[in-house]
Amino acid sequence: MEKKINERKTWYKLDLSANVYPTLQRRNFSNVYRLSIVLKEDIDPGLLQKAVDLTLPRFPAFKVALHKGLFWRYFEPNNRPGPFVMPDIVNPCMPMSFKANNGYLLRLYYYRRKISLETFHSLSDGNGTLCLLRTITAVYLRLKGHAIPDGNGVMDLSEAPGREEMEDAYLRYASSKVKSPRKRGNAYRVRGHKEPFYTLNIIQGLIPTDQILQLSRSYKVSVTEYLNAVLLYALLQKQKSDRVFREKPVTLAMPVNLRRFFPSKTLRNFITMVYPSIDPRMGDYTFEEILVQVHHYMRYYINSKFLNADITTNVAAQQSFLIRLVPLFLKDFVVRQFYIRVQDHQSSAGLTNLGVVQVPEEMKEHVERFEVLMGQPFSPRTNCAVISYGNVLSISFTSSIVETDVERYFFRKLVQDGIHVKIETNRNINPDINRKL
Amino acid sequence: MSYCVNCGVELDKSCSVCPLCNTKVINPNDPGDSISPGPYPSRQGYIDSVQRSDISILMSVILAATALVCGLLNLFVFTGTHWGLHVIAICMILWVFFLPVFFPGKLHFGISLLLDGLSISLYLGIIAWLHPGNGWYLSVALPLTALSVILILIFAFSLKSPRSSILFLAVILFAAVGILTVSIELLVRHYLKDPMMLSWSAVVLTCCVIIDVTLITILRRTRLREAVRRRMHI
Repeated sequence: MEKKINERKTWYKLDLSANVYPTLQRRNFSNVYRLSIVLKEDIDPGLLQKAVDLTLPRFPAFKVALHKGLFWRYFEPNNRPGPFVMPDIVNPCMPMSFKANNGYLLRLYYYRRKISLETFHSLSDGNGTLCLLRTITAVYLRLKGHAIPDGNGVMDLSEAPGREEMEDAYLRYASSKVKSPRKRGNAYRVRGHKEPFYTLNIIQGLIPTDQILQLSRSYKVSVTEYLNAVLLYALLQKQKSDRVFREKPVTLAMPVNLRRFFPSKTLRNFITMVYPSIDPRMGDYTFEEILVQVHHYMRYYINSKFLNADITTNVAAQQSFLIRLVPLFLKDFVVRQFYIRVQDHQSSAGLTNLGVVQVPEEMKEHVERFEVLMGQPFSPRTNCAVISYGNVLSISFTSSIVETDVERYFFRKLVQDGIHVKIETNRNINPDINRKL
Repeated sequence: MSYCVNCGVELDKSCSVCPLCNTKVINPNDPGDSISPGPYPSRQGYIDSVQRSDISILMSVILAATALVCGLLNLFVFTGTHWGLHVIAICMILWVFFLPVFFPGKLHFGISLLLDGLSISLYLGIIAWLHPGNGWYLSVALPLTALSVILILIFAFSLKSPRSSILFLAVILFAAVGILTVSIELLVRHYLKDPMMLSWSAVVLTCCVIIDVTLITILRRTRLREAVRRRMHI
């Protein structure tokens, strides 16, 4: 009885980022992303379901349902059955209703050798979800009879969930005395023909990590900086080919994992955005010039001081007494309008790099690669997500438009730089259509 | 293993064309593999259905209760006029207007708009029945409601059409405004038994025709469209 009462009392507030995502929810859009792991043998769905059922209680941040209060949304533990593993689909990251799927904000799919985990962004960022996926896979492999130890992102199931794993780390670290400005200029927006509801086009490039590492070292930049520069270069070419009325800066929205700068074990959201940008109105940039610009921008802005100022801006808004008193429907309206009219116009594309994934040594022989999809973009454009494991770097573009210009410019640039790219897609392409390219 | 001759990328065996540039893969040494399962599944996913019956039932019960109670009050307590019929009709209109919310994705927008038009016509019919005389309902209200519904339907279908553009929608909108104003004036004149001629609506119609002709010309002439773009360049 006492346990029941405690369970009923346990609820927690959404973190800073988590508050924004449900306000953008539409019938045809949810902020859902996908992480996948490709193993070396076919998936047994029965065992995978067992692994999910065993693992999820260790991750209370994921075993929740989202509810509406009068002033804010909140999470409550969800003890209903689920989530259930399902055969994979061709159109991933579909909109996720908060009331469907027994209230779970997770979806698990399997297809041949691949396990995919889709998460609503309010639950956690890529790092938290990656931890859950690695633990589910480790438990699955244990159920198959392999000895997989804990560590390197695989959590100990016998251990109780730590308080720090559930913390809202933004509140702990937001301490800057000045706030960074929120408004930036409008950026170039990729236009294209919208695909019918609900289609998500994926083009994935698989690249040998050693090649791209060697190349970026030869440019004296990091892999993230190099890929940022290539995407900016592709978007600049796209803008030029569009023959727009008036050129605009090309800007990327790139999430930064704050755990690198502010030590935290949180499994919830702990990211902020940076916006590397190139302004073609100043003149034509060569690729090398873009690379230098991106490199210096990253080194200048991505440090604990600037990032602190950034999160303080957002925390201050959330903590303001007056804002807290505003009813939820009004907050939703204002935030949604701000996102549609300001935030969404500030970037041309999204790029996220989850970096190099580590797994326990004993697990390595069973894992081929990891994949990440950024999900459906809010407005018709292209998003790019990068993840690396072993010698495979996976670059996935997701879009809900027909055109593939950005992807084409991007991968052609990599090929020009001498990198071997293998392309996979879920697009149903008609070879009889002769598109003008 | 095949490579795209345009892009230089290696293509998965399941690709018959390059997904980046749509160039056909022709490799006599490696004809590709369309039989083995590809890297992505072919099963289409559908959005989980949400239980909305609760809100539909709640709204229907509230509207039905309001209509019933007001009807009974009118029948037994405040019996002076037929005011209860107005409340019943408004409840019915609201219920019909809320149909797309009750059955999301199941009711075609065309049918929904037709039902909205029908319910408004019915309400106006009730008013005409309560306040008889002059035949305003059949000669003005009903034709105008029908015409408005048809014009809104045409605009809605153009809006939904994948080939519609802002210019095309503007053409439809101005044409609809022109037709509606002319119809209003002619119907009112017919009702008042005035001579059938155009006066104020002719001004609106002329403006609409000029705008439509300009827009259609711009739409049809690609060179002109480009010239307008160049000249409007800011």
